[in-house]
Parts: sequence; structure tokens; C-alpha cells
Amino acid sequence: MTSERVPTVFLVDDHALIRAGLRAELSGHVNVIGEADEVAAAIEIILERSPDVVLLDVHMPDGGGLAVLRAVNKEQPGVKFLALSVSDAAEDVIAVVRAGARGYVTKNIEGPELVEAIVRTAAGDAVFSRRLAGFVLDAFTNRSQDGLSAPSLDPELDQLTPREIEVLRLIARGYSYRDIAEQLSIAIKTVESHVSAVLRKLQLSNRYQLTNWATERHLL
Amino acid sequence: MTIWMLVPRRDESSSIFTRTMNDRRDKEILFAVLIAVLTLFIAFITIGVGPPGVSLWFLALSCLEAVMVWRGASEDERENLRQVSSNLSKTRVGRTDGWRAVALRTGLGVIFVIWGISLMSRVSGEHGAAAYVLAGASALVLGLFALFAPWWIRSIQDLSMERRARVRAQDRADMAAHVHDSVMQTLSLIQRSANDPVEVTRLARQQERDLRSWLANPETFGAHSSTARTLSQAILDVESEIEDNYDISVDAIMVGDIPLDDATLALVAACREAALNAAKWSGARDVAIYVEVEAKQVSLFVRDQGSGFDPLAVAPDRQGIAGSIIERMRRHGGTATVTSSIGAGTEVELRLPRASSST
Repeated sequence: MTSERVPTVFLVDDHALIRAGLRAELSGHVNVIGEADEVAAAIEIILERSPDVVLLDVHMPDGGGLAVLRAVNKEQPGVKFLALSVSDAAEDVIAVVRAGARGYVTKNIEGPELVEAIVRTAAGDAVFSRRLAGFVLDAFTNRSQDGLSAPSLDPELDQLTPREIEVLRLIARGYSYRDIAEQLSIAIKTVESHVSAVLRKLQLSNRYQLTNWATERHLL
Repeated sequence: MTIWMLVPRRDESSSIFTRTMNDRRDKEILFAVLIAVLTLFIAFITIGVGPPGVSLWFLALSCLEAVMVWRGASEDERENLRQVSSNLSKTRVGRTDGWRAVALRTGLGVIFVIWGISLMSRVSGEHGAAAYVLAGASALVLGLFALFAPWWIRSIQDLSMERRARVRAQDRADMAAHVHDSVMQTLSLIQRSANDPVEVTRLARQQERDLRSWLANPETFGAHSSTARTLSQAILDVESEIEDNYDISVDAIMVGDIPLDDATLALVAACREAALNAAKWSGARDVAIYVEVEAKQVSLFVRDQGSGFDPLAVAPDRQGIAGSIIERMRRHGGTATVTSSIGAGTEVELRLPRASSST
């Protein structure tokens, strides 16, 4: 979208079938430069080939996607991660995003949407699936019944602006970034910056309930 | 007890009675006991209690049968009885020396019964009758207990054994029925529609959800529509119901949750109708539901990116949107807005104010 160059992509997933499917979906749109089916191999090859985007399966043996993310981030913070998972468990999603993934999409995403998400990730923007948007709204707008309001350590980080909430709601309702821009009469770039701001807050916020909240959400 | 003797147990070809009759030694024992009982009877009559009543004949018959049952019982039944007896040492039934113990106990029992009855029959017209009655009654009870305890314990044991077996068999049958109704049916459906990947996916998805919920909670399985307690559970039910019945994937995102009441049930019903419309008419592959519980209201959005329609062109007699969505929401103080245009999909927006009392 914003980058003229076709991004290089690396696939990490322990299921051969899914890697093959992803390759087929992505071929012609992005440059898939490799794939790995286990944590150790993934870390080694990613560090060697430095792809723009790593498409990362959250659930894998030996520490899962989280281990790959942490190890690569330490050495090459420039490599961007897009988490791809069937898991809808809030704690997994939040954990991966907080560890530094630029976004989270579910595996039932359509091919073109996935390509768009990869391009966006490569450009440094955040990618929110509907579900992630729902999780963030749930965690940050804290309407939980317990009524506990956390001691806000940093109001800058612990609260979403009304506009950000609006954007997240539209994402959760199933709007694409383009639709959102149209609906709110703003530029797509502005939508992207709102979402990136939310991602930053999600990653940097040290609200203690974020973890509590995520681990309590076993359902879904 | 007579029936028990004459009717064979399940899985056994012969009844206790026939088994007893087939065994020569058993017949001899039976004979001996018969004589003993008759002797007692005669003695009993000569003591001067008068002619034996019908109940006494029953008693005698019962003694006989008790002996027969014990002799005729198969090995495993006896083993059971022994186990029970070792647990219930007080009753001292079925020691390993077998029929001797039974004979002893039967004898004792009969003596006690006779003693009790004779004590009680003397009561009339004497002073201090109460003591006699008491003593007689206790002797009677003691005697009856000695006579019937083994039989009683035995029948309880037998009953619980059979109940356990029945429960196990029932479980197996339930499991088989469930696997047949669900997995087998789905597999045959999948075979038939092997060339239609969309259909196969739908079937597999439905089956997977079915099995999961069944494994998680077999007791309440099949009743999930009535088990929803909160808004999010009800929405999830809508999601699975529509996915099961239509070739569309429904993805519900929920932020916050509240218990169900009349108004929220109406919201769920309106949501269901909107999602059904999307499934039936839009032609879209998926429909997105988003529910947010806010401080003062509940917002619910049902959105598809299908063919869309012109809301103004809908015939006034069509009740789907007007009756099931808009009017229903209005009745509960909420609002419904349908936004759609041809080619741009449809979004139904439902809003319901929250009762101020609820938190």
C-alpha cells in the first residue's frame, strides 16, 4: 500500500498444510522467503534472512510463537511480527501483542485481507482483527462488574481517546480501514495512526488488570 | 421370594429352583430341612398355641425357600454374599461353612419366632401383659430378623449390582446413540458431499462444536438454548444455530456481559432475525456480530458485506425487519436502524437502554 517494494515474508507454523495454504494464498502478492515448523529453526533462519514480516503461529510446541518473537526481537528489532492463530483465548492474544507483535489476525481471514495486513505490518502499522479490537475495548474501557478501577499509573497510556474507541468499535463491527475512514470522514492514514496508538498503549500500558483481565477470560 | 426362586437371573439359563432340583445333595438337604421344620411345627402345636395360622405356613415356606436359595445360588452370587457378610459382621450371614450356618440361623430364628408368638398369645387376661407383649415382640423381631436378614441383604446387594450394570449399559447405549446420531451421520454426509468443500467445512465445523460441547458437558447437552444465562451465551447460541443451519460463518465479538432479562432476550431475538436475514438473503460468506455493553445501553451490530438491498423497496407486508426487528426493539424501549444499499452490504444496529437498577 504505502511501500512500493513487495515485502518479504517468513512463515512459522508447525502444520505443513497451513504453511502450504498460506504460500498458495500469498504467492504473487508478497515474497515468501522461507518457512519453519519449529521454534529453534525459526529463530535461526529468521535471524539469517531478516524478512520484513514474520507470519507467526501463536500455538506451537516448545514455547510457541512467543519464544520466537522474544528471541528475534532481542537480536533484530526491525523484524515485524504478525500473529496468526486459530486461538481466540484473550490471554494468548494479549501476550503475543504485548511481546511486540504488530497485530493479530485469525486463521479464517480471507486471502486478500491477509495480504493487506502483511503489507500494512511491513509498513510499520498495526493490524487489528475484529477480535483483537473487542479484546482491547473490553480491557481498556473497563466496564467490568467488579467496579475496580485500577490506580492509573500513566493516564496517557491507560486510557483510550474517544476517537480511538470509535475506531476500535468500527473494527469490531467488521469495517475495513477504508470503510472506517469513509464513515468518520478521515484519511486512511489517520485510521492507521489511531490503531497504532492503541497498539502502543496495549504494549506499553502496565495496568495490572490487563493481565488479570486476560487470564480471567477463559471463555470464547 | 418364590418368584425370585423360580425366575432365572438375567444371563443365566436356569432358575435357582431348577438348579436346586437338579442337585441330588441339595435335594437331600432340602428334605432334611423340611423334616426339621415340620418337627418344629408339631412341637409348636403341642406346646399349645392352637392351630397354626396362615402366617405360620408362610413362615415355614419362607424358611424352606431361604435354604433353597442359598444352596441353589451360583458361585458368583455366593461370593457376593460372602463379601457382604464380611462387611456386615454383626449379622453373621454366610460364613464359609455355608448351609450349616444357615440351618443354625434358621433354627434359631424359628425358635425365637415361636417363642415370641407363644409369649404374645398368652397375654390375654393376665396382669403385666405389657412385659409379655414387649418380650414377645422383641423375640418375634429377633427371629424374623435372623430368618430374613440374609435374604434381605442379598436382595439389596443384588439390586444395587443390577442397577450398576444397568447404568453402565445405559451409558454405553447413550454413547453409541450419540456417536451414531452425530459423528456417523456427519461422516456419511461428508462422503456424499465430498465434492463440495464448503459443505464439508460446514459439516465438520458443526460436528466439531457438537462434540466439544458434548465432551465438556454431556448432561446438559442438547438443551443449550435454555441454559443461556447471560447475553453473551445467548448470542453464542444464535451464532452456532445459524452456522449449523446455513452456509455462513457467524463471528460474534462481545465486549462486556449482562444477565438475560426480557428486554435483552428481545435484543437477542432481534439479533437472531438480523443474522438470519444475512444468512438467507445477503449471499455473504460471513456475518459479523458485535455486542457492547456500555454503562447506559447495550449496542448490537449485525453486519454483512453481501448484496445489500434497498430498505425503501421492501414491500410493506414483509414482517421480517419491521415486525421482528424494529417493532420488537421499540416495544422494549430500544431502537433499530437498518442501513443497507445494493451492493454495499447491510448493517443492522440495535440499541437497548439498560435498566438503571442493573449494574
